[in-house]
Amino acid sequence: MSIFKRRRGWAGVGAVAVAAVALLSTGGASAQQTPLAANYPRSQTLYTSGTQYGPPSNWNPMVTGNYATGTIGLLYETLFLYNPLNNQFTPWLAKSGSFTSSTVYTLTLRPGLAWSDGQPLTAADVVYTIDLGQYTAVPYHNIWTYLKSVTEVNTTTVSLAFKSTPNYQEWANFLYTYPILPKHIWQSRSLTDIITGTNPNPIGSGPYLYLAHDQTTMVWQRNPNWWGIKALNLKMAPKYIVDVANQSNNVALSLLLQDQLDLSNNFLPGIASLVGGIGGYPITTYYPKAPYMLSANTAWLVMNLKRTPLNDPVFRRALAFAMDIPAVVRSDYNYIVKGSNPTGMLPTWSQYVDQTLVKSLGFSYNPSKANQMLKSAGYKFGSNGMVETKSGKPINLSLIVPQGWSDWMAGIQILAQGAAKAGIQITPSFPAYNSLVAQRNSGNFDLVINNDQQISNTPWSYYQWMFGLPILKTQSYRNYGRYNNPTAWSLVQQLDRTPVTDTAGMKSAIAKLQQIQLSQMPVIPLWYNGMWAQYNTTTWSNWPSSSTYQTVPTLWRGYPNMGSVYMLAKIKPVKAG
Amino acid sequence: MRSYFSRKLVTYGLTFFVAVTIDWAIPRLMPGNPIQGLIARMTLPPGASQAVTAYYEKVYGLNQPIWHQYLSFWTGLIHGNLGQSIYVVGSPVSSVIAQALPYTLGLLVPAILLGWYAGNKVGAMAARRKVLDNTVLPAGYLLTATPYMWLALLLAWVFGSVLRILPLAGGSTFGMPPSFSWPFIESLLQHWFLPFASLFLVGFGGWAIGMRNVIIYELEADYAHYLEALGAPQRLIRRYAFRNAMLPQITGLALAIGAVVAGALVTEIVFAYPGLGSLVFNAILNSDYFLLQGIFLFIIIGVLIANFVVDVVYVLVDPRTRIGMQGGRT
Amino acid sequence: MPALARRPAMSTRREVLYFAVRNRKLVIGLSVVLAFVVIAVVGPFLARYSPNTIGPDVRMAPSAAHWLGTTSFGEDVFSQFVYGLQNTFVVGLLGGGIAASAGMVVGFVSGYRGGWIDEILNMITNVFLVIPTFAVLLIIAAYLTVRGVVVEAVFIGLTSWPWAARAIRAQTFSLGGREFIGIARLSGLSSWRIIFTEIAPNMASYLFMTFILLFGGAILIAATLDFIGLGPTTGGSLGLMMNRAVLWSALQFGMWWWFIPPGVAIMGVVGGLYVMNVGLDEVFNPRLRAM
Repeated sequence: MSIFKRRRGWAGVGAVAVAAVALLSTGGASAQQTPLAANYPRSQTLYTSGTQYGPPSNWNPMVTGNYATGTIGLLYETLFLYNPLNNQFTPWLAKSGSFTSSTVYTLTLRPGLAWSDGQPLTAADVVYTIDLGQYTAVPYHNIWTYLKSVTEVNTTTVSLAFKSTPNYQEWANFLYTYPILPKHIWQSRSLTDIITGTNPNPIGSGPYLYLAHDQTTMVWQRNPNWWGIKALNLKMAPKYIVDVANQSNNVALSLLLQDQLDLSNNFLPGIASLVGGIGGYPITTYYPKAPYMLSANTAWLVMNLKRTPLNDPVFRRALAFAMDIPAVVRSDYNYIVKGSNPTGMLPTWSQYVDQTLVKSLGFSYNPSKANQMLKSAGYKFGSNGMVETKSGKPINLSLIVPQGWSDWMAGIQILAQGAAKAGIQITPSFPAYNSLVAQRNSGNFDLVINNDQQISNTPWSYYQWMFGLPILKTQSYRNYGRYNNPTAWSLVQQLDRTPVTDTAGMKSAIAKLQQIQLSQMPVIPLWYNGMWAQYNTTTWSNWPSSSTYQTVPTLWRGYPNMGSVYMLAKIKPVKAG
Repeated sequence: MRSYFSRKLVTYGLTFFVAVTIDWAIPRLMPGNPIQGLIARMTLPPGASQAVTAYYEKVYGLNQPIWHQYLSFWTGLIHGNLGQSIYVVGSPVSSVIAQALPYTLGLLVPAILLGWYAGNKVGAMAARRKVLDNTVLPAGYLLTATPYMWLALLLAWVFGSVLRILPLAGGSTFGMPPSFSWPFIESLLQHWFLPFASLFLVGFGGWAIGMRNVIIYELEADYAHYLEALGAPQRLIRRYAFRNAMLPQITGLALAIGAVVAGALVTEIVFAYPGLGSLVFNAILNSDYFLLQGIFLFIIIGVLIANFVVDVVYVLVDPRTRIGMQGGRT
Repeated sequence: MPALARRPAMSTRREVLYFAVRNRKLVIGLSVVLAFVVIAVVGPFLARYSPNTIGPDVRMAPSAAHWLGTTSFGEDVFSQFVYGLQNTFVVGLLGGGIAASAGMVVGFVSGYRGGWIDEILNMITNVFLVIPTFAVLLIIAAYLTVRGVVVEAVFIGLTSWPWAARAIRAQTFSLGGREFIGIARLSGLSSWRIIFTEIAPNMASYLFMTFILLFGGAILIAATLDFIGLGPTTGGSLGLMMNRAVLWSALQFGMWWWFIPPGVAIMGVVGGLYVMNVGLDEVFNPRLRAM
């Protein structure tokens, strides 16, 4: 018999193809989730990406860092919004909130708030949510280190008593960071479910409702009954928001150029060459010129202070002078980021930078100066011109960033080349993210780049990350370099207890911290990572920019409650449809 | 015949056991802990961080001693429970794989079968005609020497970036709901074509030259000359040669499956095709033990089934199999 | 993969050489491979930039200053290309060599000794044949923090020997039944002696061709691993060039000079090796010379 009977061969393949389509459209897709209901009219749909790198699978705001794009901000809402661009707090679920005595904070909710299942959102929900923080595993458990009690006064009023002087900075941060949860739904859940559950088919209070999701997309639908339509006179422009999950920036770039994305919050290498109509693409960004993007966080060089020679502040300062940040900004980022201020303070915090200190103790790339500093401190140099310890042992510092973080991978190679010119040998390497975390947390590293701390309402968040004590066996959250300075830590705590309105008091504490920071150099600020946001103006216009309105232009986790929810109300469809 | 199959089954069983064990063990022997990575992304304060870690370790059973984890892995497997994914937090591994599997199968099965079929056909023709041989042979060698992802890159560049007639990425238009409607199927096919083509072409080249070379061997074999001397028509000789040439091509198919799977994985990555390849990649990056185990399991099962089918076909085509297999034939 | 000669004929050296220089496939294949060897050896002397030095000219098309243009970082593509090509040959030789050695040891022992040793070795070979080794390789590579070209080659070598072992076993099996082996056995030579003085030389051409195929295979596997980003963390490679070209949107920006050359080189080297192999087959196997 012949294997090659034409008809059978092709029929067999055809059958496989049909079966595959059938699987895709039925079995495969409906394995877990609701199939997407219908097509979304292009002119009423906003396509976004850049937050979700894996399939959306979680709508639990307690699972910070993993919940689907928009879970906080579009679905669950916070008491206040905070706009870092103008340093303004805006009441959101709250109508007002203030310290009515030195240790009592009184919070009034707006009337007429409601959950999407029709239940009213009341003070009981606020009390329930804050009370949950008493469990250690809840992300905002920290507030209970200074909070004494939370009481429902009436359906719209909550009273919070503090143990002593409130940690004003942290508390202000809490008010716009964590959302209020529906007590009537969550109270029956087990603690494990609350901490680690996926919270499918979520009921929220926000401007959008969960509509559908699949492996690559998360779809939100406008909530027609949202309380804010009346109370805030806000109407969200897109009827649907389709957030595309993707792993690679080059894919996002393709989609953006083909008008399949309206807002890309991805890092798109080379985007500067396409902004402003170059190449015929309708792509714009927040600034029309370099740096094109706002700054979202500082990338720091974290040094292991338990190791020689990094335990020597002179060496650390010399290392700072050996960081070729301008080359990274130029060649790695093509000017879409800015080099950092020597204090690491984000541009939005420039008022807190002590300029005289920066003049005397600041640094910039200067390899010969770095080399000179090491020589005069008594470091030896090998025959290859590379620095050695004072006792003459070769120094080779390993610098790690996670595998696959392509801009950082390129960046540290540039830094290593620049440092070599100063006579400091740095070897870049790229462990997988989890392995990097293990090395970093256990103090088993030389140098690592970190940008965990995002833009926020207060520089306190940076300083507690820099100086936080005590040092544990595993440092899972801050002070990875294990810098032990009780004076600095008590200054940080003093800053925390300074009221947010007391700018002078904040400045004075911060100046003292910057003095320690710049002379001891426990970490080296490198550059500001951009708040990546590229708009395709074909379908939607009126995006946030330096010439329109000041709003953070990203749906990254934590940003809708920093104001980007306003962006959704302000963008305009190009064609009415 | 029975001993042949029972021997095969033992091999398959052993392979399954060894492969799955390797896959289970390697991630666990390596530094880094998936929960730590998960927690690190959450940037939780110290107290919460430890408490949440404990919760997740319990959820994933990572607080158990290692031998216990291994046992519960097999028990779970027997009950069809592959555990929970860490990369796709909170989703069962089986459902994550179920969403990706159709895409990979839809690429692989047609690419393997069509590549094999067309390659053998053209290779056999080339062995007969000098003109065809002079074009097929060089083309075949170039194709089979091409790295899968590079061909994929070329196709993506030409059709997706320069000509802009086919999409560069994805399995279907993003945001388009799966349905049995024509727009969806059309979008599916458009996205499918380039990754399929790159897999198909590389395979095609290999099979074509393989077939061509084997047929030429057979035509030079003693029996062919003997038949020729007896005055048998050329057609008959070629038919015999073709039949004999099929045997190594069938075993070759079994050997090639592993390589094609590897090719499919990278091709999917080039096209951001939502199949197992992209999933494997992310599972590795996130140390998602459970997802990795699950995908690996499916690859092993797939390769074993394919091998088994090839074995059965071989027996059907070649009654001498027992001797052939025990004697070991390339 | 192309079929191997199953009956290498024994020819005198001169006869082989005579046919070798007249075999078009062998000559073409060898020339292509040698051309790339020359580029890899001479290239570094011609390259005016070191492969990973960033320069001010970014995204430049090929020009007199940069023969193959520049990357997004202003690195010289030609320099990366020649160093990558060197590593390609290193991986191929080392990976192919390890795989061929492992294949030979297993194949010889299994085919010559037979019996329960053969049973066990054959079982192991079959298990390795069916395991999707690439997936295993992926997992291993992902967890090695520092990887050099040599480490990569070793892992590739250790996972790609099985089919060679199987083929060599079959050859040994058939040679083992020949008279001269029987005589050697009777004269009391040890198994290893017989394998290395009687069996191996008689299938030298076959072994060489097996090595060439493994050589090409190792290059392809390495390129694939590198492309996923799991290749050497120290030193460049052709696969890594393609990886970075994709990551930095060379496709979208039309920077063909970044990803075309590495692929052409891999295709050229591996294709050249394969064509060479068929040519060799024809040279060693007189029956095929007619074609």
